[in-house]
Amino acid sequence: MIATLSTAVIVVALVFSAVVLVYVALARDPDWGLLAAAVLLEVGTLVLVVAAAVVLARGDHQLAAIDATTYFGYLATALCAPPLGFLWALSERSRAATAVLAAAGVTHAFLVLRTVQVWQG
Amino acid sequence: MTSTRSGPGRLLVAVYGIFAVAATARSLVQLGFKADEAPLAYGLSAVAGLVYIAATLGLAEVGPAPRRLAWAAVVFEMAGVLVVGTLSVLDPALFPDETVWSTYGKGYGWFPLVLPFVGVWWLLRTRPRQA
Repeated sequence: MIATLSTAVIVVALVFSAVVLVYVALARDPDWGLLAAAVLLEVGTLVLVVAAAVVLARGDHQLAAIDATTYFGYLATALCAPPLGFLWALSERSRAATAVLAAAGVTHAFLVLRTVQVWQG
Repeated sequence: MTSTRSGPGRLLVAVYGIFAVAATARSLVQLGFKADEAPLAYGLSAVAGLVYIAATLGLAEVGPAPRRLAWAAVVFEMAGVLVVGTLSVLDPALFPDETVWSTYGKGYGWFPLVLPFVGVWWLLRTRPRQA
């Protein structure tokens, strides 16, 4: 369940980054479509946070204190990446500014990948 | 162009910001839970975090003072990754746990090695013209 959800979030984050790179290549400004994709990514990640918290609370999976802190720390940071990326990308219109969104997406994917490793111990 | 945060600088500031968060958060968790295990490595992660924060702020603000801050941070970062990277290769026992700068930032996709050079290049490219 957690593994499937994590994989789905990683895939969405990477697809988002790939689409952003297409935008960069075409010199297109970020639009509502990209914003909707980022919202989907955030919602998926929030579902993952809740699901992981429930699994841990029910005792179906054990994590040491440091690992639990790292786990939710990574997810909290991942949640911050797309909104901050949009703020920084939209305050200037240029290809490099749009590319910031790709960096945010890759960071998001990488952080969720790290949570998978932490979860498995 | 003399603004360090415009054009390609936009992306550079973002990447520095990501590393500022990554290194700082990592060191906080390490120092908070197991400071006694590898104090040198964890202290170093904290220093690296501060350097990345300084570089991010220095590059994201426009003006002579931020530019000096960015220069200091980027040069310190370059020295840090080269010295720590070399030490960690020659004497791995010095750093029992990973830091951002271990093995020249291998664990972070070599970004820590490349970033300071890009930073110096960008600061040179955007430097104000002297009268």
